[in-house]
Amino acid sequence: MTPRTLTPAAARRETTSTPRVALVRPKKPLRWITTAAVAAAVVGLHAVAIEGTDFKPELLVDGWKGMAAFIGDAFPPDLSWEKTLKPGLEATLVTLWIGLLGTTLSVPFALLLAALAAENTSPHRLVYQAARAILSFFRAVPDIVFALIFVTAVGLGPFAGVLALICHNTGVMGKLWAESMEEIDAGPQEALRTAGANRIQQVANATLPMVVPQFVGLLLYRFDVNVRSSLVLGLVGAGGIGLLINQSIKSFQFDSMLTHILIVLVLIIVVDQFSAWIRRRLAA
Amino acid sequence: MTLSGQGLSVQGLSVQGLGKSFNGRTVLEGVDFSVAAGELVAFLGANGSGKSTTLRCVMGIASPDSGSISIDGAALETLQGRDLQQARQRMAMIFQKIHLVPRRTALDNVCAGALARIPTVRSLSPLLFPADVQQEALDCLDRVGLADRAFDRVGRLSGGQQQRVAVARALCQRADVVLADEPVSALDPRAAEQVMALLRELAHSEGLAVAAVLHQPDLALRYADRSIGLLQGSMTFNLPSTEVTADHLDTLYAPDRDVSDRDVSVRTPSADRTTAA
Ligand SMILES: Nc1ncnc2c1ncn2[C@@H]1O[C@H](COP(=O)(O)OP(=O)(O)OP(=O)(O)O)[C@@H](O)[C@H]1O
Ligand SMILES: [Mg+2]
Repeated sequence: MTPRTLTPAAARRETTSTPRVALVRPKKPLRWITTAAVAAAVVGLHAVAIEGTDFKPELLVDGWKGMAAFIGDAFPPDLSWEKTLKPGLEATLVTLWIGLLGTTLSVPFALLLAALAAENTSPHRLVYQAARAILSFFRAVPDIVFALIFVTAVGLGPFAGVLALICHNTGVMGKLWAESMEEIDAGPQEALRTAGANRIQQVANATLPMVVPQFVGLLLYRFDVNVRSSLVLGLVGAGGIGLLINQSIKSFQFDSMLTHILIVLVLIIVVDQFSAWIRRRLAA
Repeated sequence: MTLSGQGLSVQGLSVQGLGKSFNGRTVLEGVDFSVAAGELVAFLGANGSGKSTTLRCVMGIASPDSGSISIDGAALETLQGRDLQQARQRMAMIFQKIHLVPRRTALDNVCAGALARIPTVRSLSPLLFPADVQQEALDCLDRVGLADRAFDRVGRLSGGQQQRVAVARALCQRADVVLADEPVSALDPRAAEQVMALLRELAHSEGLAVAAVLHQPDLALRYADRSIGLLQGSMTFNLPSTEVTADHLDTLYAPDRDVSDRDVSVRTPSADRTTAA
């Protein structure tokens, strides 16, 4: 043991009185100008947007009476079984089925396109670009546009809604899945590559099993969104409760409309709770 | 002294004149070593000395600029296509981060080591893996002492057990050269001893050629038959572990080793002005 006059900590404290390295933050003179420019741009954009959307809150104040009458007509909700509740519940089930099939039937397409559109699993740069382009297209076209197209092809009804959701959801879910595959730890895949596994084997035995929890989470999220979308699709003739809401508004039966909306509310809450429950079980 | 090179048929791995640079910076230069079948060799060296790069070049994960790599006397650069692939499959790598799939069972992970022998359609799901591969995987797990955990998810095993599953995967690949990059760095001391003992046993009892990068010189000296020191991309010693001295180790980890690397001019020009004032 060598006796020391200073403990290491004390020695360090000693040196701090005469700093060896002066602390001077490099000045960034452009910082303020940039902040001001960004703020000005945001304000300017909002001014243009308010102009462009005829955004006039005073109209809302003036129209208050009309709205109150509308809501007054809706109360109390019409709870007659034959006329409103029964058809409402049946149509809600149809809406649920549209959302379900639109989600599950798009899984094979989304899976294939995701694998081709993720950098770490795609077989070739050109395939990657092509898959990305296809996904972008299906994502860019809104489901409601697909619904209008399919209504002209297969007629009014839920089937058109299912087809529309399959198309749009393939685009969205494929993109989300591709991204979650790109974010996954590349280690296991590299390990299988060094063991001589080919690309398909690497994806099937490392990448895919690694992303299963993320995939299921995103699938549930999309199911949730798709059930709500299928409501809107009903408004353009693709069946389900959306169609009934549209009809009750058009025939001024606001009390029936309110009942339908309340049923929808319950449906949304149930679907939401269901996905949350599955996600919890998955995390455990 | 025997002439190294073609005429000499070494059982195991032999590397000559390995060189590698990244963006003009030389990372490896003239690295020569061999790992004989039945031998455990340790690589020692400071961070950035090129240990991982050496293993990655040998495995073919990185492509070396120069040098020759042979397995059982057959130089890889003379092989092509299917032959090269088969020669490469005789080498397996063990990683510090283990790189197993946590959601799959130990058995399924070990089976994955055999993918090169399984037709693609039968490797799409573990349910389709051929029965003989599964049996062989179970035997490999038995060799690392984990047959009783075969059907547990890997994520539920301890770090040391996971690393042994990774070793079993290398065995299921039927590798006879095993390269391990810091196989015990993430493990507690007891698990580290277990994994080192396992690697030594595979070398001594089963005749594998095993090389392991280690950051604990004492583990290296106790378990490895030979130790190789790397310093800034060059070998400083290649000795039986019993002959490695404290001086040898000091040269590897000497504190002033990378002063030239360190950026001493942290001060910005304006900072200099303030200190002068
Ligand atoms: N892909 C790369 N691109 C550029 N430089 C690299 C690359 N891989 C490694 N290097 C450099 O090569 C040198 C050696 O790295 P290497 O990973 O082989 O060191 P190591 O001995 O394994 O260190 P450690 O103990 O930290 O794992 C380092 O200076 C590193 O920055
Ligand atoms: Mg390393």
